[in-house]
Amino acid sequence: MSLIFELLQQTAVIIVIAYLFSKSPAMDYLSGARLQRRQLLILYIVFSSFSILGTYTGLPIQGAIANTRAIGAVLAGLIGGPVLGLSVGLTAGLHRFSLGGFTDFSCGISTTVEGLIGGLVHLYLIRRKKPEQLFHPFVAFSATLIAEVLQMTIILALARPFEDAVALVKVIALPMICANSIGAALFISMVRDQKRVRDKVGARFSSKAFTVADRTLGILSRGFSSETAREMVEVIRQETGVGAVAITDREEILAFSGIGADHHHAGNPVVTKWSKQALRENKVVFVNGYDEHFQCPLSSNCPLGSALVVPLQVDQEVVGTISLYEPKTKLFLNINRSFGEGLATLYSHQLLRSRFEEQKTLLVQSELKLLQAQVNPHFLFNALNTIMAIIRKDADQARGLLLQLSTFIRTNLKRNRDIVTLEEELAHINSYLEIEKARFGDRLTVNQEIDPILLGLNIPVFTLQPLIENAIKHGVADLLDQGQIWVRVYRHKGLVVIEVEDNAGNYRKPLDSQGLGLRLVDQRIKNNYGNEFGLTVVCEPQQKTLVQVRFPLVEESANDSCVNH
Amino acid sequence: MIRALIIDDEQHAREELEHLVKETGAFEILGSCANAIDALRRIRVEKPELLFLDIEMPALNGFELLTMIEDELMPHVVFVTAYNEHALKAFEEKTLDYLLKPVSFERLLKTVHKVRETIRRGEAPKHQVELLRHVPCQFANRLKLITFADVEYVFSDLSGIHIVTSEGQFYTELTLKVLEERTPLLRCQRQYLVNPDKIDEIKLLENGSGKIKTKLGNLLPVSRRYLRQLKVRLKL
Repeated sequence: MSLIFELLQQTAVIIVIAYLFSKSPAMDYLSGARLQRRQLLILYIVFSSFSILGTYTGLPIQGAIANTRAIGAVLAGLIGGPVLGLSVGLTAGLHRFSLGGFTDFSCGISTTVEGLIGGLVHLYLIRRKKPEQLFHPFVAFSATLIAEVLQMTIILALARPFEDAVALVKVIALPMICANSIGAALFISMVRDQKRVRDKVGARFSSKAFTVADRTLGILSRGFSSETAREMVEVIRQETGVGAVAITDREEILAFSGIGADHHHAGNPVVTKWSKQALRENKVVFVNGYDEHFQCPLSSNCPLGSALVVPLQVDQEVVGTISLYEPKTKLFLNINRSFGEGLATLYSHQLLRSRFEEQKTLLVQSELKLLQAQVNPHFLFNALNTIMAIIRKDADQARGLLLQLSTFIRTNLKRNRDIVTLEEELAHINSYLEIEKARFGDRLTVNQEIDPILLGLNIPVFTLQPLIENAIKHGVADLLDQGQIWVRVYRHKGLVVIEVEDNAGNYRKPLDSQGLGLRLVDQRIKNNYGNEFGLTVVCEPQQKTLVQVRFPLVEESANDSCVNH
Repeated sequence: MIRALIIDDEQHAREELEHLVKETGAFEILGSCANAIDALRRIRVEKPELLFLDIEMPALNGFELLTMIEDELMPHVVFVTAYNEHALKAFEEKTLDYLLKPVSFERLLKTVHKVRETIRRGEAPKHQVELLRHVPCQFANRLKLITFADVEYVFSDLSGIHIVTSEGQFYTELTLKVLEERTPLLRCQRQYLVNPDKIDEIKLLENGSGKIKTKLGNLLPVSRRYLRQLKVRLKL
């Protein structure tokens, strides 16, 4: 019985070493994932040492050694597979063989077999797709138990003289089976706990990172300004718990929050040499607080002692920095360091994206300008020509038309908003249509059917005008008979349908620059509402052309968000 | 007085131009037309010396009208347009003059001067007439434009000129002569033009004349005089 406790004592030594091992970076290899050759080599060395140590710490009994060698071999097989188990078992076995004694040969063989057993359990669990079971203490316990029973059998089978072997096994069997199994189980449970702690820390870190990213990216998408920076530093400080957070642009502090806010103000120029270095060299600067101390140039009483300054960049160009600070009384956590760096990368991407969006908006605006430019010359000169003719006959009508024309031109010139109400768009095309009606006389009739509820609806500017222009140009102006145009706006299955129909049926697939107006309408509807919406053209030759624009009927708030896109 | 015709699809534009043209005192206005077909008829009747011709018109534009006028009737042309697009720029070289709407009286006087000089020198109209791309035909109340690939043959009778396609027979204002000159159609008899791509076989008769069987199975007369030309053209 005393042997059991003594062996357990030996096991305790192994466990202590295992504990130290579990704290070391080698621990990362025990993640249960596929191991690479280099990692296998390290594990081989570690477990072989364990196993050999088990032999040395063993107790000499009746010319043999009661020991805990099995733990290393079985666990090596369990964690690293049959090859590793076999290698460790063989190494420890050969070592044992070299020490001599009447069980030297049988113990050498049995240790190798024990490694193999660990490996077979590993294979079995992997094949059954239960790799998490590898780190279950019960599995380690059972595997070692079987291995030790087998060892005793091998000793009985191979060690001679047989009577000595029986006498030895009677004494050591129970203590060794118990001690090794319990030891292996304890070892694995420690490794598992350590692993859990790491996973938990990692998970907490990730979730914190996601929370901060989620809360700040939205803010940043509104632009990189002192206002958005102010909101961001608050969020980052709350979530990371660091002493202070600052965001700067190239020249000055945009926002500062936390310890030292009494003398670190937004609007102050960037003065610390670390920030300047980060801006100048476009690299992360870390002042850890013990090798190098953060020295506040503004106040000698500043409690801040360490700092991390990460540059924010767009397209290789540094646009500012984000800095995390800790007071002199606190250590700057490594986790916050990698966190700060990750955050800066994320923001840099977001800034790039914002710049891209900005340019896209500019593009849309210039397309709108193009659209306005495209409207004018033909319509304008024909309108002026018509009015000049009418002046001779009916000065009042001519005056009226000039007013319509100036209304039309005025609204065209000042329409730099993206969104207008349907009513505004209708008013705009009506002044256009009044002039065209005068121009074409009785060759043109226009019928309008507008759902009055939709008058207040927000729509992208210039949605209707290109449709009308198209109907006039390819419809009425190209028709020998009476030209008719129908303008309809109605609701249909949760969608808004804007349609313009003419009775000419002359629509042809436009070439290049022609049809630019319709294409832009389609594109902007798709940009604002999604690709399943947009513009369709149905043409029955010589009968009619029907151009329809469809988009979802949305609430006011949804329309506001369109402006930001 | 220069005998002039005004062609523009917009009533106000016609009236305004008439007014200005009258004011110069240089022209006798033979009338004003609202479309190319109407204009073609008036040109044949009135034989004007000059057209004030709008480019943008329904169905057939100003350029297309010119391709439909017989050479001996071809008047001088002053284009009138609202906006000088690239198309007109390319045409600028070949045309006598062009006016931009709204037309100023002073600018019109310059045109008068140019036209007078040209007519005094007895120059023929400069613009080159391109090949016809399609034949305008009256069809119910509409103007139907037939492309040449679809034309089987053309014939004339007392009621006028008729285009035959697989879809049927259509009446056109164009003369056989214009069609022969400005299209790939070939004359096979005094009253017949045939599309060479639609000829299925040519039967030679004993008297030196012949018969053409078209792909649709129509039989067309071929006179002795045109049979020879036909053979040369078809490289038979």
